[in-house]
Amino acid sequence: MIGWEFPPFKIGGLGTHCYELTRALAKKGVKIDFFMPKTKYKIDAPWMRIVAVSPEVVLKMKGAVYKRKKSRNIFDAIEEYNENAALVLEEMNKKENYSLIHCHDWITARAGMRAKYLTSLPLVVTTHSTEFDRSANLNPSSWIWGIEKAVFDQSKRIIAVSNFVKKTIMEKYSIDGKKIAVIPNAVSKNNFKYKATKEQFGWDNKKIVLFVGRLEIQKGPDFFLRAAKKVIEKRKDILFVISGEGSMLPQLINLSIDLGIQNNVRFLGVLPQEKLSQLYSVADVYVLPSVREPFGITVLEAMIAGTPVITSKTAGAPEIATHCLRVDFWDTNEMANKILAVVEYGALRKEMSKNAYQNVENITWDKVAEKTIGIYNEVRK
Amino acid sequence: MTDIVLSFHVHQPFRLNSFSRLEEHPKKLFERYFNEELNKKYFEAAAKKCYLPSNSILLDALEKYENFKVNFSITGTFIEQAKKYSPETLESFRRLVETRKVEIFGETYYHSLASLFKKKNEFKRQVEKHKEAIYRELGTKPKIFRNTELIYSNTIGKEIEREGFEGAMIEGSEKILGWRSPNYIYKAKDANLKLIARNYKLSDDVGFRFSNRGWKEWPLTADKYAAWLSATPGDIIVLYVDYETFGEHNWKESGILEFLKYLPKEVLKYKNLSFANATEVTKKEVKDELDVPFNLSWADLERDESAWIGNKMQKSCFNELENIAEKAEGEELENIAGLLQSSDHLYYLCTKGQGDGDVHSYFNPYKQNNAYENYVNYMNILQDFKHIIKTKGGKA
Repeated sequence: MIGWEFPPFKIGGLGTHCYELTRALAKKGVKIDFFMPKTKYKIDAPWMRIVAVSPEVVLKMKGAVYKRKKSRNIFDAIEEYNENAALVLEEMNKKENYSLIHCHDWITARAGMRAKYLTSLPLVVTTHSTEFDRSANLNPSSWIWGIEKAVFDQSKRIIAVSNFVKKTIMEKYSIDGKKIAVIPNAVSKNNFKYKATKEQFGWDNKKIVLFVGRLEIQKGPDFFLRAAKKVIEKRKDILFVISGEGSMLPQLINLSIDLGIQNNVRFLGVLPQEKLSQLYSVADVYVLPSVREPFGITVLEAMIAGTPVITSKTAGAPEIATHCLRVDFWDTNEMANKILAVVEYGALRKEMSKNAYQNVENITWDKVAEKTIGIYNEVRK
Repeated sequence: MTDIVLSFHVHQPFRLNSFSRLEEHPKKLFERYFNEELNKKYFEAAAKKCYLPSNSILLDALEKYENFKVNFSITGTFIEQAKKYSPETLESFRRLVETRKVEIFGETYYHSLASLFKKKNEFKRQVEKHKEAIYRELGTKPKIFRNTELIYSNTIGKEIEREGFEGAMIEGSEKILGWRSPNYIYKAKDANLKLIARNYKLSDDVGFRFSNRGWKEWPLTADKYAAWLSATPGDIIVLYVDYETFGEHNWKESGILEFLKYLPKEVLKYKNLSFANATEVTKKEVKDELDVPFNLSWADLERDESAWIGNKMQKSCFNELENIAEKAEGEELENIAGLLQSSDHLYYLCTKGQGDGDVHSYFNPYKQNNAYENYVNYMNILQDFKHIIKTKGGKA
């Protein structure tokens, strides 16, 4: 399997997905070599072999290396990793006789395609999001679209994390729906067992409205703040807590000041698992106002932590986790209306929390692994 | 001789506006809370597909067959809407009643759950209001009572007797009948009231299964159905379904209107069958006394009140409704309080997952098909109305 981010080095759902999926697959007897860039973090995943790809490793192994110019540009780093990962994979396959190659998203797609070319192994790609999602459909890069289109064409099967993603692949990349299997993400209950009280966070007597996600246009954090303004006009005892990092952070801080709500907004950055779980547990409501959201794994996280969820109508997660409120991401009036309702109506909170939990409890990585193995068995033939 | 008590339930609620706390709303209370456009749309569609064609079929049959009789429950909110949106529908009901072979049941004006309130005065007010409306618009006085969704218990039985009714329609469920057949007349425990039990199996064959192609009896024809009725032992058979079964829940193309048209003729072919009004069958021999210590209804698999007050959201709204009903004073506020009580509003908050949930969502008229969304909207309205009652100086 060719990955990119992996806990503790992670910024989004892709890392969580690879961690949980490989663990569940390994439990079912699938042997995995997991390719990822070499990082300074120590990876704790004893269920598989981590193949940390760096130019030095490739040089040692192949006597040659793909080295892009000295630039620190993220795109160069991705390209370098992809090329080198493919070279390492080819070399290792000589000994290991892999059954198939599984890559994720455009970010590892070229490694997948190149390795497929070098080894003639079948290729599977999981699509967590497409360029149309990440760019919020504003200015999609045709270069990335080209990579995505190529990997969709070259893969034997495509796994989409939601029907929403499947539809995008069919419509925007002209791919036959029969090639695409929808296997939604899951959530691991154990990761969200850590509880806390508002007092521990220093938020006594406050209502907590939570946002967790990358601070990028795709996730709609600015709509979150605009809705916050409208809620705060109705009642003051509400804190809007934002956990996550991203390029919009300075802009969001400025916006909260411009709106005059800075005293009711907290920016917490990216939190470690235990702390994040605690944060969900003290929140009265979780809001994910994404402009485009192919899945939205945080929806499941909030639900398994027992927190009621408001999410935008485009999100993919509610395809399987239905017990939530939906809004149009741009309709900050309606978002504020629903935030107020969840905060004030105890019966609504309890009912949503209970039903969502019961629903999400049955959405396990074990089942994701089972379906994924089904795909593996198909393409190996 | 077995009497067929053919009965239809006719109701339309006043559907709610989308009511955000962040937006301005009209000052006039009716416009503030109720969605005229949606109500008109639903009523006109139902009139065209169901009420007018079905009434015309029944009128023909009533004129043609001396022994054909039917019964209706018609809510007050339906009559109000008919007057507004489709006077010809109301007129067609009048013509049915004029045949003197059509009995109208009593019920709460608003199709509410007021019978479950702790204080009984609101229930009484709504039953009286309904009696007046039926007499005024259709010129007849109900003698048999059917509570909203056939909700019935010993306690409710006493209230029904107090309102001067001779009998009540109930669900013929095994939960209370046990081994006994629904096809006889029973009497209430602790009240001088006859109980007329719906034969839910034969009713649901028409109400739920008619269009189901997976059903082994599909397609159901009037002659086949009449043969079943004829082979069913008992003094009575109560067939009681939503009137919208005919042309709305089952489309015209399913053959449902043909079924209705040929049913009287096919039934009357049998010497052991005839049709009757509910009041007539109360004169039949009473077989036993029925003890109903809990709330029985005709809804969902549970046959209890859980379709309307099963989950916490529904209970919280129900409590607010009870609270509001106590405080609202004066004609306008009392009427709005009543319109908000239509049980439909609570029904849309149901979160039951499996089979029943599907029925709930089938009937849901709002764009968002989600109990939580419906709750936010409904509760926003109830809170707003509570506030208005307070500022208008209702009872403290």
